[in-house]
Amino acid sequence: MISKVISMVERMKDDDRLALEALFRSEPIADDGFSARVVRRIRRRILLRRLALPLALVVGLLIAFKPALQLLSALFGLVSVLPADLIQFPADALPQLSTLIVGGAVIAMVLFFIPALED
Amino acid sequence: MRTDDAGEVDRYLVAQVVSKQDAGAFGELVRRHQSQVRNFLRKLTRDPELADDLAQDSFLHAWDKLHTYAGHGSFIGWLLKVAYTTFLQSKRRSNRYGEVLEALGHEQDVAASRVAALSDEVGDLDKFLAVLTEEERAVMILSYACGLSHREISDAAELPVGTVKSIIFRGKEKIRDSFDIESHQYG
Repeated sequence: MISKVISMVERMKDDDRLALEALFRSEPIADDGFSARVVRRIRRRILLRRLALPLALVVGLLIAFKPALQLLSALFGLVSVLPADLIQFPADALPQLSTLIVGGAVIAMVLFFIPALED
Repeated sequence: MRTDDAGEVDRYLVAQVVSKQDAGAFGELVRRHQSQVRNFLRKLTRDPELADDLAQDSFLHAWDKLHTYAGHGSFIGWLLKVAYTTFLQSKRRSNRYGEVLEALGHEQDVAASRVAALSDEVGDLDKFLAVLTEEERAVMILSYACGLSHREISDAAELPVGTVKSIIFRGKEKIRDSFDIESHQYG
């Protein structure tokens, strides 16, 4: 008797579910270029992110160029005012060619790997 | 539709996207699930154009957050969660827009948009959904239109499983009461 009641309740539940599923059911929506539009927007976003860092560098350099030039000319002006024996320093204090090459290589590698890190 | 094979394909494509930023693989994921996401949002918003815009935004959010999909549960469940969050955010924004319009004295525009929203409620399903609150509507759609389990709905709507069950029960009762439907007969 109890099992009959349980199975009846289960059947009613199933009927309930089926009826509601039928009510909520809808036809599949055709893609009609929807996914292509999404992918296009994503590719544009990837491109913008890749360009962001180099663009920021260029803009930063453009902004900093004039003040940096003014600073350098001011420094040269200062050097001409200083006494000669104060400005003379040993040549080996200057960075050697090998140091410059290694430094340049490190900077190039950093610039190359920063976008990869961002990805 | 939601077989283990389909789940495996989804997980493979997700792995491709996360490891290689593969837009093509993501496009395949979009192709596989766009219909369900758009259907869900169309039922929720009752405005196909708005729903499609929200679906695009949802997929863009999904692209950004794909690394947070841990592979537990179905991918479509996770995707519908993103879509539901996108819908709620858009709803909040449009509510704020309505408040600003009202504050600026554009009550007529607001009233007109409300009338337009009401006049959209013409379909059978829309009539049923109109008696439900937003939360009840979302849960009922996730359950009966998208076929998610109570656990998946709980994850998608960020509600406890018990609350999901009681919302579904309450939703069914409301539909019955509002349309004077005999028990277990809908439509």
